[in-house]
Parts: sequence; C-alpha cells; structure tokens
Amino acid sequence: MHIDRRTFLAGGSALLIGQVPLPARAQDKLIKFGAPQDFTKVYTFVTAEYSQGQRDYITLFNERGGIKGFKVHLDVIDHGNDLPRAIEAFERYKREGYVLVDPLSTPMARGLVTRALEDKINMVTTLSGRSDAADGTAFPYVMPLSPNYWSQAALIIDFFQKQDKDLKGKKIVLVHIDTPFGREPIPIYQALAQKLGYEFQAFPYTPPGNDQSAIWPQVRRARPDWVIFWGAGVGQTVALNEAIRNGLPLDRMSSSVWLSESDMEVVGKDATKGVLKFEAAAGGREPKVIQDILKEVVAKGKGAGPEGKVGTSYYNIGVMMGAIQIEGLRKAFEKAPDGPYTGPWLNEGLRSITNFTADGLLPPITTTKQDHQGGGRGRIARWDGSKFVAQSDWGSAYEDVVWAEIRKYSEEFKKSGK
Amino acid sequence: MLYRQAGIRHRRYAAERQLWPLTFDRMLVGAVALFLLAAPFTLDRLYVSGYLLPWLLWSSAALGLNLLMGGAGQIHLGYGAVMAIGAYSSVHLVRNGVPFELALILSGSMSAAIGIIFGAAALRVKGLYLAMSTLAMQYIVDFTISHAPGISGGTQASLQVPRVSVLGIPVTGEVAPYYVALALCAIVTLFMLNVGRTSFGRALAAIREKDYAAEIIGVSTFKYKLLAFWTSSFIGGAVGAVLAVCYLRIVTPDQFHLDLSIQLVAMVIVGGLGSVLGSFFGAALILFAPIFFNHAIGMLAAGLGLSISTDLRSHIPLMLYGGLIILFLLVEPLGLAKMYDNVRKYFLVWPFRHVRK
Amino acid sequence: MDLILLGELAINGVLVGLMYGLIALGIVLVYKTSGLANLAQGALAMAGGYVTVALATLAGLPMWAAVVAALAVMFVCGMLIERVMLRRMIGQPVIMIIMLTLGLEIFLRGVGPGIFGSAVKPLDLGIRQAPIIVGDILINRAYLIGGAISALLIMATIALFNSRLGVRMRAVSDDQTASWSVGIRVERTIAIAWGLAAALATAAGILWGSVQGVDWSLSLLLMKALAISILGGLDSIAGVLLAAVIVGVAESLATGILDPLVGGGTRDIVASVIIVMTLLVRPYGLFGREHIERV
Repeated sequence: MHIDRRTFLAGGSALLIGQVPLPARAQDKLIKFGAPQDFTKVYTFVTAEYSQGQRDYITLFNERGGIKGFKVHLDVIDHGNDLPRAIEAFERYKREGYVLVDPLSTPMARGLVTRALEDKINMVTTLSGRSDAADGTAFPYVMPLSPNYWSQAALIIDFFQKQDKDLKGKKIVLVHIDTPFGREPIPIYQALAQKLGYEFQAFPYTPPGNDQSAIWPQVRRARPDWVIFWGAGVGQTVALNEAIRNGLPLDRMSSSVWLSESDMEVVGKDATKGVLKFEAAAGGREPKVIQDILKEVVAKGKGAGPEGKVGTSYYNIGVMMGAIQIEGLRKAFEKAPDGPYTGPWLNEGLRSITNFTADGLLPPITTTKQDHQGGGRGRIARWDGSKFVAQSDWGSAYEDVVWAEIRKYSEEFKKSGK
Repeated sequence: MLYRQAGIRHRRYAAERQLWPLTFDRMLVGAVALFLLAAPFTLDRLYVSGYLLPWLLWSSAALGLNLLMGGAGQIHLGYGAVMAIGAYSSVHLVRNGVPFELALILSGSMSAAIGIIFGAAALRVKGLYLAMSTLAMQYIVDFTISHAPGISGGTQASLQVPRVSVLGIPVTGEVAPYYVALALCAIVTLFMLNVGRTSFGRALAAIREKDYAAEIIGVSTFKYKLLAFWTSSFIGGAVGAVLAVCYLRIVTPDQFHLDLSIQLVAMVIVGGLGSVLGSFFGAALILFAPIFFNHAIGMLAAGLGLSISTDLRSHIPLMLYGGLIILFLLVEPLGLAKMYDNVRKYFLVWPFRHVRK
Repeated sequence: MDLILLGELAINGVLVGLMYGLIALGIVLVYKTSGLANLAQGALAMAGGYVTVALATLAGLPMWAAVVAALAVMFVCGMLIERVMLRRMIGQPVIMIIMLTLGLEIFLRGVGPGIFGSAVKPLDLGIRQAPIIVGDILINRAYLIGGAISALLIMATIALFNSRLGVRMRAVSDDQTASWSVGIRVERTIAIAWGLAAALATAAGILWGSVQGVDWSLSLLLMKALAISILGGLDSIAGVLLAAVIVGVAESLATGILDPLVGGGTRDIVASVIIVMTLLVRPYGLFGREHIERV
C-alpha cells in the first residue's frame, strides 16, 4: 500500500474521531448484573433463548418499578467461549461495580472461579460449571442456583427405578460427549450402580458429536434397559437420530436438561415421541410469570427477541435464572437496605433464598451458606410430539450420594485447588 | 520531520549497526517502555490486567511463533499445544514445590523437547503438508492432556495455580503479575530484535528463502530447522508458564485448543511475517478487535435504537473480525508493520515528498 | 469383541468415510488445479447447508428445487471467492493462503448463524429413518444414501477430469505458464475449480445437514476431510475414494475397539494419527505425485 497525504489525513482524522468518547449511560440507582455469554461459538444452541428469557424477566422487574427505587441493568455481551474475552468482561465489570456475572459456559465458569472468589463477585453458573460448586463453604462466590449435573443424574436414575420398581440386574447405558462436562455425571452413575445393583456402561463420543455413527450400533448391541444421552446442541439431535435409526425404544431414553423443542424439530416432532429429559423449570406458556411477561413486556413491544421463542425450555430456564437472581437481590435488600451495594452484599441475599418458586415456574429452591444448589429439585418430562409433559412431581433424589460426591471434590479443591 | 536523519553521522561500525539509529525511534521506544513501566501506577486496573497484561503475553507468544514462521519460514498450526505443554509443566512443577524461576526454565525445556517432534515433521515435508502435520499434532497433544487425569487434574479437569514468588516477591494482586509478564516480554523482544544479526538468525533466513539452496551453501537444514523449532518452542513454553501463573490462574485443557493456535498465526500474519513490531500490532488487533467490535455494535444498537435480532447483533462482530483478517491480507499482505513503515517513511522525508521513491 | 459388530462398524464406517470424502474432494480439486490450500471447505459446506435451508423455508421452494438452486448459488459464490480474494493472492506464500481461507471460515461462521439464527436448523431430505437390516447387521439408511451419492459424485469428478474441461484443468495443474501459452484461460479454469469445490461442499453440507441439522458445527467436518486428502494425496481424486474408505473404517473401528480401552472418544485422534503417519511414511499420500524441487 502506498501512503500519500490524502490517505494519511483521512486515517489520522478517523483515529481522532474514534477517540471522541460516547456519552455514558446514566448510572445512578442501578444494580448491575453482567451477562457475558457465548452467542457465537459453542453454546449457540442455548444462549440466544436463555438470554432472551433472562432479559425479559429483568425488563418485567424494571417495568414494575424495580426495588426501592433501584433498577437492574443487565449487560449482555458475547464472549465467544474465549477466556481472554471473558476475563476482559470480568475485569470491566469489577471496575464498574457489577455485583453478579452469568457466563453460561462451563469452560468460562471454570476459568473464572479463582477471580470470582478473590474479587468477591457472584458468579452464577446456571446448570453448568463445576458440580462441586454446590458446596458454599468451598466456593462462597460461585452460585449454581440450579440442580447440578450430579443431582440431574440422580433424579434420572430415580425415575428409572420408579418405572421399573427395581433396577437390579438392569443395564443402563450413558452415551456422553467426551468433555469434562460429559464425563462429569459418571461418578454418580457408578455410585448408584453399586447401591441399586444395575449394570452401568458409558460410551463417549468425540465433541461436538456430529458423527456418532460408530457409537450407536454398540449401544444397540449392549441391549440396554435404559439409555441416557448426555450432550448439548448438535450432539443431542444426532444422538436422537442415531437412536431412531438403530431402533432403540425412545420412551426408555433420557437426556440431561439440555434438550429443547428446536432439537426435537430438527429430528422430527413425531419421530421423537416419548423421549425423556430432566426439567429444572416448567416449560410452555402456562406458568404465571410467562403470562405476565407476555402481557407486560412482549405485548408492549419490549421483548428481547422473537415472540415465538417465549415459553421454550431454554427461554424458561432464562426466566428462571433471572427470577432467582432478582429474588436474591430482594433478600439482599431485606438484609441490608442501605447497602453498600457490593458483591458480598448480594452474596448474602443469594445465599438466603427460601422456598422460592417464581409463581410456580420452578420447584421450591432454598439456598444456604452451605448449599448453593438450592436443593437440587427437578422433574422428568416426556416429549409428546408437541411439548414436554411432566412425568413426575418436583423433587430430588439420592441427595446423600450427590452430596458425598460434592464434598469429596470440594474438599479436594480446598486442599489442592484441583 | 519527526524521524530526522539529518545530522546523524556514524563514526563507528557499532553505532551504525545499533537497533535504532534514528533519535526519534529511540525516543519512541523509550516513551513506550516508560509508559509500560509506569502503567500499573497511572492506569486503571482494568486496562492493566484486562488489556495490557494479555497483550504483552500474547505478543510474546506471537514473537516466539514469528521466529519460526517469519524467521525460518516454517508453518506451525500447533503453537497452542506447545504453550499448553509449558503451562501444564509449570503448574505441576510449582504445585510440587519447585520455585517458579526454575519451573519457568524447566517448562520451557519441556516444551522445547516436545516441540522438536513437531520439527521432525518439518524435516520431511513443507508448506501445506507441514501445516497439516502440526495441526494433527495439536489435536494429539490436546487429546493427551484432557484424557490423562494426572495432567489435567482429574474429573473437573481444572488445576488452580498456587501463588508463586519471583525473586522473593510474591506474584499477587495486579502489579506483580504484570511486571513478570513485562519482563518476559522484554527479554523475548530483545532476543527477537537481535536474532537476525546472529549467525543463527542468518542461517534461518537462508532456510526460509530456500532450504535446498541453504544446504548447498553449507547451512545444515537438519540442524537449523530443529534448532528453530527448539528455540521457538522454548519461548512458547515459557510464555505458557507465565500465562498460567500470571493471567489464567486456573488452567483447563480448552484454554489451549486449536483456536489459540489459529489466533497466534493470525497475529503473526496480520502483524507482518518476520516483523517484531508487527507481532505487537497483530496481537493487539486480533485480541481486541472482537471486544472492540462487540462494544461498538452494542453501543450503536443502543444509541440509534436499532432493533436488530440478538443473533445478528452478536454475529456481526464475528463477520467484521473475519472480514478484517481477509481485508488485511488482500490490501497489505506484509501486515500492520508495513503500514506503520509507510507512515514512518512518509514522515522521514516530510515535507519533501518528491525525494521519496 | 464379536465379528458381526466389527462388520457393522466397518460398513457404516465406509459410508460415513465416503461422506467425509465429499468434502475432501473440494480440497483436492482446488489444490490440484491451483496449488492453493483451501481450509474454508468446511465453512463452505456450512454455508451451503444454510443456503439450502433458507431457500427451502424462507423462499418456500420444494426441497429438490432448493438443492439445485443452492448448488448453483454456491457455485457462483465459489467463483466469486476466487475472483475477489484468491486471485489477488497469487505469488504469496502458502501460509497467507491458509490464513486467508481461515479468515473466510471465521467470516462465514458469522454470516450463516447471524442471518439465519444460531439455533440448529432442520433439513429434511425425506430419507426414511427406518433401518435396513441384513442378517444381524444394521445399515443406516441415511448414511447408505449419503455414501452412495458421495461415491457417485467422486466418480463423476474422476470422469470430469477426462472431459475437455478436465484436460484443461490437468494442463493448468501441470504448468500454468505453459497452459497460458497454448491458449488455456488459466484464471477461468481455476475459478471453475473453486466453483465446483463450493458446489461439492454444498452437496456435503446438505447430506450432513440432513443427518445432524444445519448449524456452525458443519464447518468442523474440515479436519476429517484434511486427513482424507492428505492420506490420498493432495492431488489425486482417485486417492480420495480409497482414503475416504480407509479413514472411515479406521475411525469407526477405533471407536469400537480403542474407546473402551482408553475410556475416551478416540475418533478425532484417528484422523490426526493418520495425517502424521502418512506424512512420516509416505509424505505425498497414497496416490499423490511427489513434488520434485529444484534449486
């Protein structure tokens, strides 16, 4: 390239203009939540809908006047599952006095654990992150606030047992993505196998799971009584496709929480009839909160995304997390109305939520200084061709086994930082 | 103007061969060095640990890769794996009580020892084939790390980095890690600035231009290709170690995936192959362009009240980022360093444009 | 380990391998005619998938028309990419081309999900899900059809190289200057190669899209395709056919035999090991021509 006077002047003036600061947004009377999430890389399957639900709930809260004159500002930004970008966002939030971050990505949550603990900013790890973070004594500022993978695994096994009365001698197969996230539930399945006497076998597939052609013939030949498929996004749809092609009975297959209506649409709404999944929040538009959002937010044109997505599984999980975060905020205001409005202040609130159900959207959640999971309640739902229908009541199962596992790893973390 | 050549007369060979013969260049380097040294005390914490620290580390890594790609002309798509080896070695060493100074050197050596295996492929193939084999090795290293619980740290696959001290000073807070990174970056930069003036650097240049021809004039391609990989991997390992201790503070396998390797290659190429200055420019652009675009699009959308869908809003930065890389390669294949050079040349003779060729 | 399971894995491996081979075909085609590295082939497959979905759902075309239209659109896109980007890069070192195509991949990965939304999009070719069972061996219908189409397309490409256009392509790949001097339009030939590569990528994107749905992860098919093209030889179309079968079977069997031993998904590693082994044992692949360098 050749530089002459004109290009130089143009470039120089462009630089100067770039320097002019944009007017800052009004910052008084705001409680600031940060949501650096992955919109573009790995978690694309969930983030858009989750974020829409979270933002809609917070809009609802603000529209209703907030709390004590305070409103919540939610900063949504893409971190692309890239740690330097997540750290940049985290440092910026720290400087600007944010009290909560919600990265919605297991690798980012893991990478930010040390910073969250040191800088005392509440990090929400919705249905992701480390399972052992449920132990509040080891991770005071890491807040799962939702059933972790171990609780989900235990509930799924519990459901199987209730269906079959006895699991002794049965065979349960786990088909999972070969990442830390996919390997995470294995200890629980093994521990429960000893307790309940079923045979357990795990089949890992390479991430992200767009080719599982060699796994499912083996699954079929293992002749399992129950199949659990543990993945996310494209891995789930491929797993379902392969299961159908291998002639496995879908009504004896269950997924973790990461299965949504759009996955079913990809595979075929009717073809997937009978599939089970774990549910952390009620789906659909019936719950009162969703109705409120439809009336007070979406109808006024303030919705954060397409109206058609309101009420999907991931949208409702977003609403659920928004609601729990706001409930934590209310509790914090109850405890110390005059602040100072910092991370530790909100932490007190988030750790003292009692029997919160968001008007029936979720099972009652109660957090304590020890239990950041909030009880680990959920239920199993079945796809009926158009929506997921609850198959059991809200509840938890084998929390003793789950907590033994949590403590084992959190002790290890306290001791050696693993 | 500015870069004035008038009045500079060299009386000794040493004076003529110095790194920055022009007074203004020297002043500029001095000013930047001073700024970087004073940054923790003058700048906000956000800029120090959110921008300057990663920038220094990524620049150092890009410099190490540039030695190989720009200096010796070998393609390496697995530099992230090399850094991972350094990071994991240092974390394990430090956790077992080895002082960090020693761990830094040991982890550099560890990376170098494994990095030389990448180099073995370079002895047989080059160009696209070499790119593919380094890419494959990246996958193999990734797999090994994440599937060996002894390395990755078990089920949770994350390892917290214990607090270390360098020369008796504990590396805690924001200031100390920054200075450790700055020191490493300064050493790597000085090495890279001078390597071209050594017999080693000239041998690499000969190999870069044509390895067969280099062999004929007596440069052992076997020795120097492996040496190039050794040196570059050593730098990569050391940077990986400092990265883990000063910046990441908790290491997980996915921090060093192929994405990191591609990011680094992009830094080297967008900055300018073989240019030291370019590595710094490239690192800044590749690291911060996505963040900048994200904020800019967010502000534009909020400021103008545009109602664009979340999907589009979050993907526009990605498009701009990819587009930017393409644009740079098309418009200025010699990279950002060349752009700076153009500006510098413009001022070198300003206002007498006609003397410029 | 029973033999029937291995047989079943091997058969499905062949079919899946052929579907990967379709993507490798584009890489080989471009490398053979122009000597350029094409690392955007996976992203082109993704783009092709998105275009097909968009034509079928937004424009409301029937599926067969959408497929044909998408192939045509992507053919033009491929030619445009060559004209706008790669032609300007002639004479640049190979790493520049690699980076350019990687930049293109990032760009396409933004465009597709940005415009059409990031949720997985269904693409239904109307292939029935019901399995075909031969004895005790189950053959996956989607893969059977996909593999057959892929094999046909690979053979068609081999045939193409014997046509008039193919002879021109071979001439260009032999010596560009000499081709110029006998009146072959080298630029146009290379552009057509890119167009064909993009169209083949689209075909692969559609086939894989029908298996897994269309989203960004289609671009990850690149790695397998690279293993195939390296193993077969970067400038051998026939090599793709054989290498695709080898890679597919090796991956499939590794999943069956190695996974239980290692306790992890070894599938990706197989591709990488194949690349490394090929380069160490026979750097120019099974059928590739050894490039003789002169000082």
